[in-house]
Amino acid sequence: MSYSRENIAAYVDGELDLVTAKRIEKALESDAGLAKAVEQEHALRSKLAGHYAPVLAEPVPDRLTALLTSNVDDSLFRRRETVAAVRRPMFAQWGAMAASLALGLMIGGYALGGDSGYVSNRGGQLVASGALSEALETQLAATQGPNAAVRIGTSFAAKDGGFCRTFESASVDGIACNSGGDWRLLQMVSGAKAAEYRQASAGSLAEAAAGMMASDPLDAAGEKAAVAKGWR
Amino acid sequence: MAFEQELLALLPRLRRFARSLTHHPADADDLCQAAIERALKSRDQWQEGTRLDSWMYRITRNIWIDNRRASARRGVYADIADGVMQIADDSYVRMEAAMELNDVDKAMAKLPDEQREAVILVLVEGYAYKEAAAILEVPVGTLTSRLVRGREALVRELGEAA
Repeated sequence: MSYSRENIAAYVDGELDLVTAKRIEKALESDAGLAKAVEQEHALRSKLAGHYAPVLAEPVPDRLTALLTSNVDDSLFRRRETVAAVRRPMFAQWGAMAASLALGLMIGGYALGGDSGYVSNRGGQLVASGALSEALETQLAATQGPNAAVRIGTSFAAKDGGFCRTFESASVDGIACNSGGDWRLLQMVSGAKAAEYRQASAGSLAEAAAGMMASDPLDAAGEKAAVAKGWR
Repeated sequence: MAFEQELLALLPRLRRFARSLTHHPADADDLCQAAIERALKSRDQWQEGTRLDSWMYRITRNIWIDNRRASARRGVYADIADGVMQIADDSYVRMEAAMELNDVDKAMAKLPDEQREAVILVLVEGYAYKEAAAILEVPVGTLTSRLVRGREALVRELGEAA
C-alpha cells in the first residue's frame, strides 16, 4: 500500500485533487490493503454520523428556542423568575387580577378586596393609589422588608420608553407602568389602547412582563436611580 | 429577525455539535444556551454573506474550550460566561458513572480535545477541511494531521470494523 493515511482519509473526505483521487480509484481495484483502509474510513464515518444523528431528531428544548423567538434578551429575567417562581408559587394570579380590575372598572373609585385604596379609576383608566402607588413610586426591591404589604418584583424599561414594575400584594398582583406620574395598571399590548385589559392565564404575568421589556430588568443601582428621578 | 430565524433553523445541528463535544445532554444544552446568548450579544460581528453556521460553531467551540481550560487550571467546576452554566471538566466521568457509555462515546472521550473537535467537524458535521480549519482557527495542515491521528485512535479503539 503506497498511500499515506492522510491521503486515504482525504480521498474518503472528498478532499483530494482530481489526479490523485483518480489514481487511488485505479489502485483500489488491485490493492486489497488500500481497499480495506478505504472501507475502514467509510465505516468510521458512517458509524460516527449514525451515532450522533438522533440528536437532530430530538425536539429542541424551549429554553433554547425562547432565546430566539423573542426579540428581547430576557434570558436573565427568565432565570431570575424561575428561581422566584419556585420560591413563591402563588405569584402572578393574573387571571384573578384581571377579573378584579374589570370589577374595579365597573365600581369606579371603590377599593378592591381587602387592600383598601390600592386602585382607583381615573377617567376610565385604572391607576394605583394609596399604599400601592407609594410602593411603586419609592419602594426598592433590593431593600424591601419581607413583610411589606406590597412587594415589588421586577422593574424594567418598557419598549414604549416608560418604566414598569411588577408587584404582589395579598389581593392583587400585577404590572404597573408609570405614565405622567400615574402608575397605570395594565398589560400593554402593542397597537392596542393603553387601557385594554386582557384575561391571561395564571402564571403568565412574568411572561407578559418579559414581553414588554426593552432590555434586561433594572439592577439594584438602576432601580435606585429611577426612584431618585421619579421614574421619568 | 432573519438572524434569529437562521439561528433557530441551526439549533438541531448546533445541539448535535454540542452533544458530541460535551457528551452530556444537559451540559450540551447549557453550552448551546451560552453560545446563543453570546451570538445575540455580538451579532454585529457576524458579517452578512458569510456562513452563519461556521460562525456559530466557532463561538460554541470557543466557549467549550475556554471552559475546559479554565476547569483544568482550577481543577474545579468553572462558570461559563455570566456564570449561568457549569460544565464539569469531569463530565465524562459523571457520564460513565450515570449510564452505560456506548463504544463510540468511550472512544471519542479518550481523544484529546483537539483531535475530537477535528473529527467531529469533518466526519460528523461534514465540513470541508478549509471550513473546519477556519472554525478552529488553525491552518489546514494542522487540521488534517489532527484528523489523521484522531481517526487512527478511533479505528484502534473501535476495532477493525470501526
